[in-house]
Amino acid sequence: MHTLSSSLRVIWACLKKDLKSTSSEPLFTLVSIILPLNVLLLMGLLVISGGLAPTAVVMQDSGPLAQQFYAAMKEAHSFVLQPATTQQANALIEQGRIVAVVTIPADFDTRMRQHQSVAVEVKINNLNTDFTNDIRRALPLSITSFYAKAEPSMVTITPQEIDAYPQDLGYIPYLAVPILVIGLMVGGMVQAGTAAAVEWERETVKELLLSPASLVAIVLGKMLAAFLIGLAGAVVVLVVLIALMGIWPVHWGELIGFTLLVLVLFTAWGTLLGTWLQRRTPVATLAIGLCVPLFFLSGPFGPISFFAPLEQLVARVFPVYYAIVVLQHAFHGFTLNTSGIGINLLILAAYTLGGLILATMVLRRSTVAH
Amino acid sequence: MVQAFVRAVWTICKKDLRVWLRQPSNVAITVLPALALLFVDALSAGAVGRSPVALVTLDQGPRGQQMAQVIHQADLFRVSDATPAQAQVLYNNLDVVAILTIPANFTQSVEAHAPIHIEVQINNLNTDFTNDIRRAVPDAITQFYQQRGGESPIKVTLQEQNLRSQDIQLFQYSAMPLLLLLLVVSGLVSSSLAAASEWETHTIKELLLSPASSGAIITGKVLTGFVTTFALGVLVLGVGDLLGWVQPVGVYWLEVLLILALVALFSAGLGVTLGALLERIQPVSSAAIVIALYLFFLTGGTAVLAFDPGWLQTVATFVPLYYGRHALEMAIFYQSSDQLGRDSTVLAGSALLAVGLGILAMRRGMADAR
Repeated sequence: MHTLSSSLRVIWACLKKDLKSTSSEPLFTLVSIILPLNVLLLMGLLVISGGLAPTAVVMQDSGPLAQQFYAAMKEAHSFVLQPATTQQANALIEQGRIVAVVTIPADFDTRMRQHQSVAVEVKINNLNTDFTNDIRRALPLSITSFYAKAEPSMVTITPQEIDAYPQDLGYIPYLAVPILVIGLMVGGMVQAGTAAAVEWERETVKELLLSPASLVAIVLGKMLAAFLIGLAGAVVVLVVLIALMGIWPVHWGELIGFTLLVLVLFTAWGTLLGTWLQRRTPVATLAIGLCVPLFFLSGPFGPISFFAPLEQLVARVFPVYYAIVVLQHAFHGFTLNTSGIGINLLILAAYTLGGLILATMVLRRSTVAH
Repeated sequence: MVQAFVRAVWTICKKDLRVWLRQPSNVAITVLPALALLFVDALSAGAVGRSPVALVTLDQGPRGQQMAQVIHQADLFRVSDATPAQAQVLYNNLDVVAILTIPANFTQSVEAHAPIHIEVQINNLNTDFTNDIRRAVPDAITQFYQQRGGESPIKVTLQEQNLRSQDIQLFQYSAMPLLLLLLVVSGLVSSSLAAASEWETHTIKELLLSPASSGAIITGKVLTGFVTTFALGVLVLGVGDLLGWVQPVGVYWLEVLLILALVALFSAGLGVTLGALLERIQPVSSAAIVIALYLFFLTGGTAVLAFDPGWLQTVATFVPLYYGRHALEMAIFYQSSDQLGRDSTVLAGSALLAVGLGILAMRRGMADAR
């Protein structure tokens, strides 16, 4: 029977041993610490466009109505506009620098005043339906907004928007939270997984298994060491998000508490992965390689209930989803599911406990196999 | 002389292939990220661009019903018809992004040319979903007016001119860069591990003491990476063709195979360089997958590069995958060889440069080992 004090001693010894091992490989430790930041940069490339279509506008008419149409396009939440001549616009779209060219004809104002139809030419680089449809839908928005201001008596049907939140949150601040979660996942799993697997690669696991120490205490000690190193990586990412990118959390207490819980969770699962695979290479490569698919699978773009039922089902399998839910609440005060923050936290805690129990079980099985 | 060289290359290639096949976890980690992303794409393909909304039609008159029909048929939303109370429940449960309400006096107001609003209650927690709704509602209004033909007050019409012969479905569009990701991950990971393992397991000594020339050793290493990567690429392309994801036609099969071969050679060369430079499996495996992901995302990932900022588009032109992606898009989607000369020259040059760097790195490593 392991007493509490002996278990604490084992935890402390394993923690010290792993921290000392880590300090003997300063380059790898440094790489581990900046790994979440690396994920932030990598995933940042995904969202940097902000979903706005770079579009050239050829203003063949410079009359007031044509100018109003241009202004309506600018306010359509869909374009990054740049005025251009026909030649410049064609060159830009051929080079793939822009995705659309809108040409406002020379007789725009005249025909509008005479209530005659006006054809606005739209040349689209129709690469794929998703992006192309965004442009196709943004132009009617520009047209209705234009009429609402220029000829309010003509187009009488207009949308009246009632927003749930006082202001929209940008694409990047919103997606920064799921990216943070993925960074915590990669940082925690790589550090914990490699620390566990290295015991097999160096065959030091024999000493651990033959010692009278409790297996749970060994796992906890190793997890704690990986957690402390992962914490350094988490702090680096949070500093970048908050201080450099200006994404200020609404609930500081929640941010600190939830970040710690999420990091413990992924440390537990990293330990499990390392104990199971027993080799550092597949652990590190899997943790890094699967970060992008897991990001997309876990509902990073909005409440998962807005997506197809199968997507919802798959997302709910992964703890990344629940981590995103609680951290979106901490950062932006958003509610992304109806379960309540408490239930989401309980699920995360259950995943953490599950990871710890499974890692201990795998370690126990390897005792028999050894 | 030549015979001995070929025999040495073949022997090393056979040995590395056997080692590769004996490590299924390494094979799995090379294919998992791309396959997982393909799964994500397939999962989300159905609902892209169509947000779930609740539609409350309070007007039973002809115009109100017509507007409701337009909203249903416009392929802009996933619509749930609801009473005001039901809609509020759906909205509160996060089952819909927005509630669209057609007011009771809609028909009366439209026929009297009086201003009338379609109420849009939006859960505006991020701009992505919110802007989709903001674009879609005016699109529906425009379609409603268009049904009135010549009587439509909207005189501004859009004359769409597509740059390409057809729109590509998002899933197909994303599948193709994922094929490139698969090639790059596979080439980089397998070649770098094969090279680094010679140092880590000290088998480099045996290789150097053998009568095989260093040129044969290096060629054998690159060839293994190329063969495994290319074979994997052809296999996935074949499966993609059978499933209808990516379907080259006629002579364009050759073009696609050429590009796959060049990308495979580039990745294998880069992998050997990395493995020979770092000489240790652990940092090599992490670095290989991170480099592969950066190369992938710097060329737009699964999105459209033209939406990204200008500086990123400029950076992309220095990444060889940019040219591979362009050539594959042209051949697979548009049955075109547009700029094939440029694309294949850049890819071939990059592949040769990568192999050249690999040779230099291996030679340097071998000299150190001597």
